[in-house]
Amino acid sequence: MPQVMVVARNFMDMVAALPAAKLDMLYDSAFICEAVLRSLPPLAKKYALQMLYVSAPVAAAAMEEWVLDEYAAKHRVAIDRLLQLRVFVEVRDRRKEVSYKMNQKFQGNMQKYLVDGGSLPREPIPSSVTARLPTLAELESFALEQWECFLLQLINSSQVERGTSFSSSMMRTFQRGLLSSRDGEAPRLTENGFQFLLMETNAQLWYIMREYISSAEERGVDPTELISFLLELSFHTLGEAYSLNTLTDVQRNAIRDLAELGLVKLQQGRKDSWFIPTKLATNLSASLSDSSSNKEGFVVVETNFRMYAYSTSRLHCEILRLFSRVEYQLPNLIVGSITKESLYGAFENGITAEQIISFLQQNAHPRVADKIPAVPENVTDQIRLWETDRNRVDMTLSHLYEDFPSKDMFDQCCDYARDHGCLLWEDAKKMRLIVRVEFHSEMREFLRRLR
Amino acid sequence: MAGGDGDRARAPKRHKSSAPSRSIDETAELDYTDDVDDDVRDADREVKKRDFTKLELKPDHANRPLWACADGRIFLETFSPLYKQAYDFLIAIAEPVCRPESMHEYNLTPHSLYAAVSVGLETSTIISVMSKLSKTKLPREIIDFIHASTANYGKVKLVLKKNRYFVESPFPEVLKTLLKDDIICRARISPEVENVKQRCLPNALNFPMLEEYDFRNDTVNPDLEMELKPQARPRPYQEKSLSKMFGNGRARSGIIVLPCGAGKSLVGVSAACRIKKSCLCLATNAVSVDQWAFQFKLWSTIKDEHISRFTSDNKEKFRGMASVVVTTYNMVAFGGKRSEDSEKIIEEIRNREWGLLLMDEVGYPLVIFEVHVVPAHMFRKVISITKSHCKLGLTATLVREDERITDLNFLIGPKLYEANWLDLVKGGFIANVQCAEVWCPMTKEFFAEYLKKENSKKKQVLYAMNPNKFRACEFLIRFHEQQRGDKIIVFADNLFALTSYAMKLRKPMIYGSTSHVERTRILHQFKNSSDVNTIFLSKVGDNSIDIPEANVIIQISSHAGSRRQEAQRLGRILRAKGKHQDRMAGGKEEYNAFFYSLVSTDTQEMYYSTKRQQFLIDQGYSFKVITSLPPPEELPNLKYYTLNDQLELLAQVGVFCTCCFLLVNSLRHLNQSLSARDDMIGIEHLEEDSDGKALMKARRSAGSMSAFSGSGGMVYMEYSTGKGKAGASKKPKDPSKRHYLFKKRYQ
Repeated sequence: MPQVMVVARNFMDMVAALPAAKLDMLYDSAFICEAVLRSLPPLAKKYALQMLYVSAPVAAAAMEEWVLDEYAAKHRVAIDRLLQLRVFVEVRDRRKEVSYKMNQKFQGNMQKYLVDGGSLPREPIPSSVTARLPTLAELESFALEQWECFLLQLINSSQVERGTSFSSSMMRTFQRGLLSSRDGEAPRLTENGFQFLLMETNAQLWYIMREYISSAEERGVDPTELISFLLELSFHTLGEAYSLNTLTDVQRNAIRDLAELGLVKLQQGRKDSWFIPTKLATNLSASLSDSSSNKEGFVVVETNFRMYAYSTSRLHCEILRLFSRVEYQLPNLIVGSITKESLYGAFENGITAEQIISFLQQNAHPRVADKIPAVPENVTDQIRLWETDRNRVDMTLSHLYEDFPSKDMFDQCCDYARDHGCLLWEDAKKMRLIVRVEFHSEMREFLRRLR
Repeated sequence: MAGGDGDRARAPKRHKSSAPSRSIDETAELDYTDDVDDDVRDADREVKKRDFTKLELKPDHANRPLWACADGRIFLETFSPLYKQAYDFLIAIAEPVCRPESMHEYNLTPHSLYAAVSVGLETSTIISVMSKLSKTKLPREIIDFIHASTANYGKVKLVLKKNRYFVESPFPEVLKTLLKDDIICRARISPEVENVKQRCLPNALNFPMLEEYDFRNDTVNPDLEMELKPQARPRPYQEKSLSKMFGNGRARSGIIVLPCGAGKSLVGVSAACRIKKSCLCLATNAVSVDQWAFQFKLWSTIKDEHISRFTSDNKEKFRGMASVVVTTYNMVAFGGKRSEDSEKIIEEIRNREWGLLLMDEVGYPLVIFEVHVVPAHMFRKVISITKSHCKLGLTATLVREDERITDLNFLIGPKLYEANWLDLVKGGFIANVQCAEVWCPMTKEFFAEYLKKENSKKKQVLYAMNPNKFRACEFLIRFHEQQRGDKIIVFADNLFALTSYAMKLRKPMIYGSTSHVERTRILHQFKNSSDVNTIFLSKVGDNSIDIPEANVIIQISSHAGSRRQEAQRLGRILRAKGKHQDRMAGGKEEYNAFFYSLVSTDTQEMYYSTKRQQFLIDQGYSFKVITSLPPPEELPNLKYYTLNDQLELLAQVGVFCTCCFLLVNSLRHLNQSLSARDDMIGIEHLEEDSDGKALMKARRSAGSMSAFSGSGGMVYMEYSTGKGKAGASKKPKDPSKRHYLFKKRYQ
């Protein structure tokens, strides 16, 4: 996936950004401690385990000796992360020597967890009550369909057949930064919006969850509670049913929203109601790199710039439409072609050639994915060439000066602008010159002084 | 070179009115002609949303290779295990749109279905095979369409008996319907068999005529003793195309499409050997006539006295009751006064009942009499003069505009077979060519001239003479000669560029007015001497000169957006060389042929270049864009390195152009019939072989000057459907109007 600026790379970045008090509150739950431990880089994980039964602070200098010199950088990263997440707490003694101590709550919870393995606040409902539960495949297709439906609504697609029940204000929150609407115009995808659509599902999910959590306060909900619930959710078993009665009010409200997004499926029994976590929910605490790109690609690009996408997804179709001309839609195939015009449209919207190319490469159909390159070279070359073609002309805002009373004055002005590196062009014959716009006021000042 | 070609003498007035001195705008429009259809196609696509998502997918769709849309478009997966069967089936019933590696696209049209039934496929078979191959249930529209397009086929027969054509049908009501048609009714008195055939086509009365020649039971026409020699072993695809022609033991008329270098002539000779009756073989020019005669002798056991050539220089008499005669379209169609001996020969051609009319290059634009003659006009004339039981058209490039297909359909017959280029490449039957488009930035000075309004008329010379292009060309020649020991052809349409490049680089060149002796000498050296490894050719080399040794092409100037010229030129190096196993995928000579097209960036040429490549791209070729030629370290070793040298070149271009204007203007005063077009400086006008040549000596001097002035003689034109509205906004004149005029004038 293209490097995306709009998204925190994972949930833990968001956790790390919480204020210290809130963070400590989170560590009340053993599950969150485990989720945090899982999310750590390998070296940090090792340090955490190493310190698990050490109650006294360990000097930072001593810790540094645990690694060879050439891995000092990795050591630094690990320690930083541990501090950010307040797994380690910095302690300074009287001589200002730094040492690290493990967060007591975290330590206590993890020790307990090691002994009894921890248990969820709720048990799955026995199958005698639930009768038939959806199969994992059904659950996955439910989740994806729900998610797609949400995305289509998110980008205001005309293709959307059935909306989600999110309030329009909620929807607007999600759309913040992805869509821009100028007065009287239909909202358009922004550059970030394009990048968002090109991301894989998990990354998109993170983005939406972050928006969901950070807007929680506006709805009078404590974000910490949401984070802890979401992390907890990720430890539930995929496909099992859990009773809604075990949830708090805040959680019960949240679970309805999560059902709209496809994280859980809600079902009503004769007297009981329950939720079933889908893959989207159980993948929540995994970091992005763990879950990425195990799905099959679907796009075949030919040397004649035709593009064949094996997909039934309307969202895929919308994504392809962002940079190509879709010509035929068949039950399981989308046919389009990449044209100069369609690409210019994409470039105009801030999407880059590299993003398009990497999208095509990473989603290459298994038929062509083994080929090197998976996308024909002439096509990728051409996409890049078309992009660079657009960048051949640079716009520089500037000011033109003319009608100089004397050659001398003209020359002085030229020299002055040149000395400041702001002279863009001069025509000595006609005594005209152009300077950068930011130099305009200085230039005017200079002219005034000359007179 | 003008020389005298036939009809020209009769038609000075036409010329004057059709081609008065043009402004550059008109040139642009003219050059676009073969692009118009693309624009139309694109615009068309935009309008209609093709949403067929509601089609019902079969449960085992993954095992089936194709989708069929209600509008006739078919998509075929080439990686399906059923690909080979599906390909053979689709090529018989549909027109290929594009055939790259993984996915092919085809269009189902009335004519393609007509072709399908005429090679013996039945309506029910077409539908059942198609629904078997389809991933979805077939759309209702497709089934109806197939029924409608094929229902009437076979009800009417066209039979040639004793030099007269008969329309036969066992259904009296059908004959009555036909007789109600004005054209058919009149044809009983003044027979114009092509018109009758045209009226019967799917887009008119829709009783396509069955034209089959039961040659085995033809006792009226004498047999010709000829067999294929044992060493002539047709390749699988050649066999396949012949089997389409002779599927039911009789000979069907139609067109076989094979890429250049894939062995069209063996197919032609094989067909003649099976029919074993008199055969009239029509070629585009005298050189090809020699080559065809040679091919007949090479592959078949025909006796020397049974084969004769009929060209303006070579009027060999017929001998025997049955024989093979090789001649040019022009020789037959020529309408002017003929010499006594050729009059005799043409009389014999007229009177004979030919078993096979073998027509070479039917997809090639036969623009011979004038700039704007529709090729069909020529074919029509030739076919109305010669009476034949069976017609076989051969071509490498069939343009698919509906109008053209219709023309060829009624004049010759449906397309019988079309090979897939990529499959032939994979099989090692034709060379695997690396294509590249080399971007040459215009030098500052040349670009400044290019942009000047007053230079609009020498734009073409300017971008052809761009010093950066010259240096890229020089570098490529040097690289391929020295590093790889290749044989190189450099193509330039622009004569000024051709001569300047060739002289500066000291390489031999051949263009229209190079004498036959000179040509032979240069070609002989190129073939046999290790000192001559590069030759420069004008468009005479596009298709009539056979140079199997060459494996590199560098194209420095070309005719606007002609897709066909690009394909023809590529065809020069498609003939596979070396051992068969080396050429197979992974073999050591997998890439042994190179096609470079040099374009000056930011000029019209870029636009044209994209258009030109379209046909080849649709066949699965890809053009790699090279932006950094020559490499920087080579720069000082190449010519036109210094600014001074470049400016000198620019001055030469200027002087040359001025001379041309003067020459053209004076010529225009001298000779009104000369269609001098000063806007296409350096454009060559090719001489075609025709009967009137000897009678036209007087005009020759003027004609040879017109070569340099650019009396736009043989120009690549492809004809669009004339519906072109899309391009109209860009162009000053509506091309559809223009086509309408042409139609009116030349029909």
